[in-house]
This record gives sequence, structure tokens and C-alpha cells, in this order.
Amino acid sequence: MPTQEFGASQQTNRTPAEVLPAATSRELALSLRDVSLEFPVYSTETRSLKHVLMRSVTGGNLRRQRMGASVLALSEINLQIYHGERVALIGHNGAGKSSFLRLVSGIYEPTSGEFTAYSAVYPMIQKAFLTSPELSGKMAIKGHYLLHNGNLRGFQEFYEDVVNFSGLGDYVRLPVKTYSDGMAARLLFSLLTGLRHDCLALDEGIGAGDSSFYEKAEQRLEEFVRSAGTLLLASHSDQLLHRFCTRGLVFAQGRIVFDGPLADALNHYHESHP
Amino acid sequence: MNPILESFRQAWKLRSAWWFTATSRTKARFARTLLGSFWLGLSNTLSTAALAAVYSIVFRVKDFNHYIVFLGIGVVVWNSISAAIGSAPSLFEHNSNNVKNLNIHPVFYTLEEWGFQLQTTIQAFLFVFLFLSFFQHSLLINLLLYGLLPMLNLFLFIYWAPVIICILGAKYKDIYQLIPIVLQLVFLLSPILYPKSNLGPIAWIADFNPFYRVLSPVRQAMQDGSISYSSFFVVLLMNLIGLAVALRMLTKHKAQLPFLV
Repeated sequence: MPTQEFGASQQTNRTPAEVLPAATSRELALSLRDVSLEFPVYSTETRSLKHVLMRSVTGGNLRRQRMGASVLALSEINLQIYHGERVALIGHNGAGKSSFLRLVSGIYEPTSGEFTAYSAVYPMIQKAFLTSPELSGKMAIKGHYLLHNGNLRGFQEFYEDVVNFSGLGDYVRLPVKTYSDGMAARLLFSLLTGLRHDCLALDEGIGAGDSSFYEKAEQRLEEFVRSAGTLLLASHSDQLLHRFCTRGLVFAQGRIVFDGPLADALNHYHESHP
Repeated sequence: MNPILESFRQAWKLRSAWWFTATSRTKARFARTLLGSFWLGLSNTLSTAALAAVYSIVFRVKDFNHYIVFLGIGVVVWNSISAAIGSAPSLFEHNSNNVKNLNIHPVFYTLEEWGFQLQTTIQAFLFVFLFLSFFQHSLLINLLLYGLLPMLNLFLFIYWAPVIICILGAKYKDIYQLIPIVLQLVFLLSPILYPKSNLGPIAWIADFNPFYRVLSPVRQAMQDGSISYSSFFVVLLMNLIGLAVALRMLTKHKAQLPFLV
């Protein structure tokens, strides 16, 4: 059964002011000063022991090849995000949105510049379970809970919520590898939205399972996003961004080319990319 | 914060999670098998019995009971070291999805692997231990009185040595091919199936073999009921230096990992 992703085609009638709390304080959540991120592109040259040994004996002749190629994913980002802000990341594929999400959540480290996260950023871009597919859904839920809480206090409540919401029922006791794509997506979605986070880095690509689950999932996502202190949402859907965000950052070739109110950011994006 | 202290802090903070996922892997390994983890002990015991039967003849062993205990402990400890080192080069590759999408400190993956190897070693060891106790009744008392410190060194070694290899393995693709060859050579060169004295004039090689320096005290403690404290502290020092190097390397390459896997 095909899975659906948020922002793909759904309508909304509510504005962020109706569904989301306003940014109530000016407490800094994230600060970036001249931050750049370069991806090393490792080739056979750079990952072969033979070439490393060759370099060590040939001195400077082969040294210029040492670092291989690299891609500048983010360039000179200067930005401050305050607690409670709802920030949309706008841009074409490859513009730097996902790299930015990974950077602020600590998966990537800046190559240069200064980045400070004043609160923990949770990357909601997880695509697999922490435990082996040989193990049951229950074990996957337990692993996820332990990773985020460090103990099992309150686990039963979380477990029941995830099982009920995902609609897996007794299937939760079966190995995850026996689930259909839709079932696995439902479980992952229920897991990821089952805990509250102070600052959320969200990619619209998060799967929500089959279409019958989608409507229910939308409501849960809305509640989940509402509960987060700060939101960073990368999406190609204007509707989704209007629904959750008030501020927009437009990315192009790894730079932020516009930072302002969401409506203005979307106008800027559509004018420059008709 | 100091990178080594930060690694320890993360290891402690995530302790429930990595131990749980390690235990889950152990369970997954034997999921739906008839004998479960019993297979592990059984395979080690059968290897010990078969090797002892053959090599006791090859080496013209006079005291079979002594030899089978010598060989059995050596084989179990070697298998633990070998399994930990052998699986290390592809550790981050196997966790690539989570390395790229979760903001967990990489010490998590190394500790999960260590927890898994630890559980595997203990399971294998218990079964072989019972089997070998038929040949030498003092094994349990020797283990309790003399074996714990050498075991500590063994457990430390099977953490830091694989960590260094898994970082190199993520960086250089040749490591994955190289490790099985090195393990095979080290196995043949180490006095595991035969006493160190059989090496004759080249017995000194064993003293510079870190694998043997970890393995030998465990065997000596359990079989002979003795411990060399000077040797223990030398190996402990090697382990502490190895641990510091491994954690420093892990921190140094942390930023590169999502791009290497």
C-alpha cells in the first residue's frame, strides 16, 4: 500500500495563530554566526590504504589529491532563532534545507563559524528503528523510549499510546520485518510523535503510512508540533508551511537569501523561482 | 569539555539504551532457533572437543585433561577477541541509517557492539566452563579468586581495539579485507593451541603480541590458580592508553562519520 507524506496534497483551513502558541519570549534557542558546512566527497583515492601509503612515500607529488572533492552545503549562515518561533525552511531540492536541519540538530558539525544550540534540537528525520527488524514492534518502541528517557518510567503509558494510535494491535508483538511498509511507517510515525521535544527539526518527508491513517496522523502531527517549544520545518508545501509557521527562511545554493515573515518569504521564493 | 570525558558522559547517559539494543541483538540472533543462545556454547564446546582430540595427538600431549582446559579457555577467549575485532570494520556501515539521521554520539554504536560481544562471550564462556569443569574441578574457585582482574583486562581490550578498527574501517575500505587476514595470521602465531614454550627461541614474539598478552593471564588465572600482578598492571596500562586513543579518535572523526558511511 502506498504511504503518504505530509505536505503532499492536503488542505487546511486553520492558520498558525489558531493552532499554535505565539512566540512568547525572546529567549535564544539557536544562534549561528558565519556558519559554513562543507561535505567531503570521499573517493577511492581518499579511502584506499594503497594511496595513503603512496602519498607517504611520494611526498608532495600526490598530496594535492589528498582531500578529494568537497561540496559547500551551507555558506556563511548568520541567524538567530528564538524560543517559540515557528520557522519554515523554503527552497528547491539541494538548496540546503536538509543540511541545515541536520546541522542544527547536531548530526553535522559546522566546518567553520560558530553555532550554539541553547536547547536540544530533535531531528525528526529518522527513517528506521533503533532495534533490529528481527525484533518485535514492542522492542522497537522500548528502544526508542530508552534512548530519549534513559529509563522506563512512564513507558507503559507511552507504549499504549503508540500501539493504540498506530493501530497495530497484537501485530506489535511480531517482528518488524514482517510488517508491510504502511504498518512500519505507522509505527515509526506514532513513535516519533509520541514524545515531546523542546525544539523540533522536521522534514516534510516523514511518512504517515497508508491513506486511511493519514487523516488521523495529521491531527496528531498538529498536536505534536503545537507542543514543541520551537519548530524548524522544511517543506515544499505552502499550505503546510502556512499552517505551522510564521517566519520563513529561503535557501538557495546553501545560503539564506531571505529571512522574514512567512508570506514575504514565500513571495520571494516564488518570484525568484517562478 | 574534554573529548574523553564527554565520551564517558555520553556513555553513562545512554547506558540503558545501548545495553538494551545490545541485548535485543543477542535475542534477535537466536530468534526462532530451537536452542537459542545454547548454540553459541555448544559450538565453542564442540570446537574445543574436536581441536583437543586432534592436537593432543599432533603435539603428543601427555596430560589430556590439562590440555583440553588449556585449549578450551584459549579458544573461547580467542573467539571473543576475534569476533569483536572481525565485526569492527563495518560497524558504522551497519548503522549508517541512524548515523545519518540521529544525533546520537557515536560512542553509542561502539558500546552497543561491545555490549553485544560481552553478552556473547559470557554465554559462550558459561557453557564451555561447565564442560571444562569436568576435567578440572578447581576452575570455578580459580575464576573467582584469580580470574576477575584478567577478565577485566579482556573486556577493556575488546572495547578499545575494535573502536580503533571501526574508525579506520569507516575511513579506509581496505581494512574490511585486511582484518580477517591479520586475525588468521595472529591466531597461527599466538600460543593458543600450543604452549608458549613450543615456540622455542622465538617465544619472545608472544610477549609483544597484545592479543596473547590479554588472553594468557585469563588462562593462567583459571587453570593454574595464579595471577601475575605486574603483568596485570602492564596490560591494564596498555588498555587505558588504548582506551584514551580510541575515544580521542572517535571524537576526532565524529564530524566525518555521516559522510563516511
